[in-house]
Amino acid sequence: MSVGFDLRVDSISAIMLAMVTGVSLLVALFGSGYMHGDGGYPRFFAAVSGFVFSMCMLVMANNFVLLFFFWEMVGLCSYLLIGFWFHKPSAAAASRKAFVVNRIGDFGLIMAIFLILTRFGSVSFSDVLGNPGMIADLAAADETLLPLICFCLFLGAMGKSAQFPLQVWLPDAMEGPTPVSALIHAATMVTAGIYLVARCTPLFMFAPDVQVLVSATGAITSLIAALIALTQTDLKRVLAYSTVSQLGFMFMALGCGAAGAEVTTPAVTAGMFHLFTHAYFKALLFLAAGSVMHAMGDVIDMRYFSGLRKALPITHWTFLVGAAALAGVPLLAGFWSKDEILAVLGTASSTGNYQSIFRIIRIVATVTALLTAFYTFRAYFMTFWGEERFPVEAGHHPHEATPIMAWPLRILAVCAALIGLAVGPTHQFQTYLQRTVGLKPYEAHFHLDVMVMSAVIAIAGITLAWSFYVVSPAVPARIAGMLAPFYLLSQKKFFLDEILYGIVVAPLKIFGRICVFFDRAVIDCLIDSLATVPASVSGLLKNFQGGVVTSYAGVMWFGAVAAVVVALSLF
Amino acid sequence: MPAFDQLNQAAGLIIPEINLIATVCIMFLTAPFLVTETGQASPGLRHRWGILTLLSIGCAAYAWIRSPLTDGAIGPFEIDALAWYVRGVTLTTGALLALLLWDQTDDSLAAEVFACLLAVLAGVNLVSVANDLIGVFLGLELVSIPTYLLLYLGRDDWQSREVTIKYFLLSIFSSALVLFGLAWVYGLAGSTNLAAITKTAVLTGTANGHQMLTVALVLILCGISFRLTAVPFHFYAPDVFQGTTPSAAAMLSFIPKVVGVVALLQIFPACYGSLQPGDWIPTSALRWLLAVMSIITMTVGNMMALRQKSLLRLLAWSSISHGGYMLVGLAVSGGATPGTSASTGLAAVLFYLPVYGIMSIGIFAALSSAGTKLRPLRSLEDLHGLSQIRPAQALAMTVCLFGMGGLPPTGGFFGKLNLFFAAWKENTELSRTLAIVLAVNAVIAATYYLRIIGLMYFEQSTVATEKESGQVAPIAAAICAVVTLLVFLMPQSLWDAARAAAGILPV
Repeated sequence: MSVGFDLRVDSISAIMLAMVTGVSLLVALFGSGYMHGDGGYPRFFAAVSGFVFSMCMLVMANNFVLLFFFWEMVGLCSYLLIGFWFHKPSAAAASRKAFVVNRIGDFGLIMAIFLILTRFGSVSFSDVLGNPGMIADLAAADETLLPLICFCLFLGAMGKSAQFPLQVWLPDAMEGPTPVSALIHAATMVTAGIYLVARCTPLFMFAPDVQVLVSATGAITSLIAALIALTQTDLKRVLAYSTVSQLGFMFMALGCGAAGAEVTTPAVTAGMFHLFTHAYFKALLFLAAGSVMHAMGDVIDMRYFSGLRKALPITHWTFLVGAAALAGVPLLAGFWSKDEILAVLGTASSTGNYQSIFRIIRIVATVTALLTAFYTFRAYFMTFWGEERFPVEAGHHPHEATPIMAWPLRILAVCAALIGLAVGPTHQFQTYLQRTVGLKPYEAHFHLDVMVMSAVIAIAGITLAWSFYVVSPAVPARIAGMLAPFYLLSQKKFFLDEILYGIVVAPLKIFGRICVFFDRAVIDCLIDSLATVPASVSGLLKNFQGGVVTSYAGVMWFGAVAAVVVALSLF
Repeated sequence: MPAFDQLNQAAGLIIPEINLIATVCIMFLTAPFLVTETGQASPGLRHRWGILTLLSIGCAAYAWIRSPLTDGAIGPFEIDALAWYVRGVTLTTGALLALLLWDQTDDSLAAEVFACLLAVLAGVNLVSVANDLIGVFLGLELVSIPTYLLLYLGRDDWQSREVTIKYFLLSIFSSALVLFGLAWVYGLAGSTNLAAITKTAVLTGTANGHQMLTVALVLILCGISFRLTAVPFHFYAPDVFQGTTPSAAAMLSFIPKVVGVVALLQIFPACYGSLQPGDWIPTSALRWLLAVMSIITMTVGNMMALRQKSLLRLLAWSSISHGGYMLVGLAVSGGATPGTSASTGLAAVLFYLPVYGIMSIGIFAALSSAGTKLRPLRSLEDLHGLSQIRPAQALAMTVCLFGMGGLPPTGGFFGKLNLFFAAWKENTELSRTLAIVLAVNAVIAATYYLRIIGLMYFEQSTVATEKESGQVAPIAAAICAVVTLLVFLMPQSLWDAARAAAGILPV
């Protein structure tokens, strides 16, 4: 078998490429200002460039092996950038955690590639995905095969796109520089899992059970992440959990194909559309948070500052645009894409074999949308409203973003506001994406009821946040007191880290200790004692080397006689 | 006059050797007239003698390339693929040794020193081209006798005299063993001509293992083991290496091994009726003997090298262990038909010889040029921090030491790998054991080679030595280091030549 360095750019790759390169450019510009004066400035841009290259190659790969290679490359760059300030123990631990958790997902992806290779006889996208007849034949011959392949693929996507229960690494990844959080851990790399599942739609179509699993996992992830985001006080962590939550939304949409072949394309379109718009407004939010962090002397905990809207006017209005887009305020980017997802969930809950499950998922999605609007604006109000307070680290005059940092914010804000309107209701995105292999054109409808509902939800969430954090700031504390156990659950992230530690990490650590003990006590001892043998033998032999020529000759003579005797008598 | 024609024809076959010997005669005869009675010579005389030496080697090399092969000849000389290969090896390494001797001689003694080297080279070549037991023995002596002189001329102190005498006595003893064994062979075959011995061996069936032949060959093997520095005939080596100059030690570490292996390959196959060394299948007694000797030699050499404080003694023990590696190849030789890769033991030995020679000469060249005449490098402590005061020499030495340890990216890696595979592929219990012992020994050896590198690079130098200008030895060291690396990159041509010399690959 030979695996070529094959590249392919079709609609889905082109959309990813446009998004990756566009966001990367703006983030790199922002980063050049943000990282100014850091000792690792060249290292930072080396890793960022490496990441952009790998990500572009990842979406352009035309076979699974090449995809896997660059999948690992982006993982490596992510590892390097999370641990960019590796002298900080928390950053080093976070990068290691991200790397190790991603390995679990990669295990699934490797298994999937092996299965595809052995059953399809090829790893090329054209052979595997562009051949529906062959997929159907294989699915008919072995009905567990495709669900298995798809499950393994989804496992890989879960690792990279931080889905429950592998989502634990993403919030910790915020230890990296903020531009990296914006680029890799919000806009681009984490969407590789979505891309993989969307790309493999022709396979997933034959595994509706796995598609339901995809949707359900997305729903669980998005709900849990939104609930955790409610109580976090670290601005970047709120955004990180919102990323996890939005990724869950995308998976919810992708899984809707389970409802039937005619729903598949709308489902993929909705997922990809949300991916596309999310990249812009989430990158914007992260960069704005970075700008806040920059001004506040690297303090990002919202309890230590408030009322920044006068001190940081540009950051303030750009963050507001991003937050509104994320919350789903009508006509902004997030509104259109979230709308599509809710619409496709609605379709799935009224057709197909899995109506009841999708009904639950739809309710979860609606609740999550409400929570999203609430926690986003909670963060916004806590940061930019209220009395003006700065932390000690910021000095007396917090400085607004420099032009090199401000312009990317402005451009992204415009994108976040308009990009949904530009390509959503005009069906530009949909018609373009449909040219991808394996997707069929479909007739798009406006779902006015869904639109109205999501607009109401968004407004409701924002209003709630307004009344809690601006009008009567005492209310949240009182509610937290009333619901203390739930508040603690949310604040401690549902103890997921601790649970995973207990179930997985601790037993492995004990096993590791045993291995180390065995290595030290048994193997090392054995080897060390072996190593002393040559030296002691050497000491013994040294006695023969006396320097007397007659004894040398004597030994030679003895040797010759012995050789003759041995050669004659033995044989 | 058929006798005259025969002589004329025979002389035509050994033009390179005649060339060398003629230069030797010129040097010995004219040199005394260029030195005053008190032993003073005009400064810079050694450069002229050195250039003459290189010129002579160059002419010999030219004649070597032009000389045709004469397989199956019955005359006094036969130029087979083995002879062709050995001539190439000796002339190349001879030129490097000449560069190495250049710095180590006085102007007044230069002619004698270079002449001795040329005589040694001629001796090695004669062993390889001889088609007669007498010729082989004369060649061996032509190597030995100038070596005594070379050892004596190198240094003017009691230590040097002591080791010269030591080497002289023990070498004579080993020559006597060889000669005694050759007499037994003559007694069996009734002729000293190797072609005739081959024929007799085939006719009388001695190939199946005559007891008398076993005694003869074991005696010859024991005598030649002295040159291969195989245990227990190795005792002289550490003393002699320590007591002589690095250049003489370089010669001693390599040339006797070549001549020993060649002499064995000339005599042994003929006694079993094989025309080509590659057709020769040693009897199991011989195989066992070689295997046991190689195991003991490798192990003892490496074990002793581990504990040495003196650098030259360490290198002597390392040289002994390399003799053991070569015996591995001899022990697993034989039984190969042309064109197959059944056993590559002989080819592996023949490949290993020049690679080892280059690496060994490189180490000694770097060593001799890193020290000065007043303060030569003798102990391991002298090497501390060599990379700071002599970076070029330290680098060349490091490359060659890597090669000695059999580590990539050096030719030594392929040298050991070939031996290992030859032993492993023969697929008998004995050969597999040999392969494993070889591998274990390579690991032990790596310890002390890497330790030397560590001393050079990670220790602080204690003394500041001034540089000696106008040295030639660094050129030799540089060439050796580069060639060591090149062999790793392009091993194929050397490997093909070695296989052709072993009679495995058709010429």
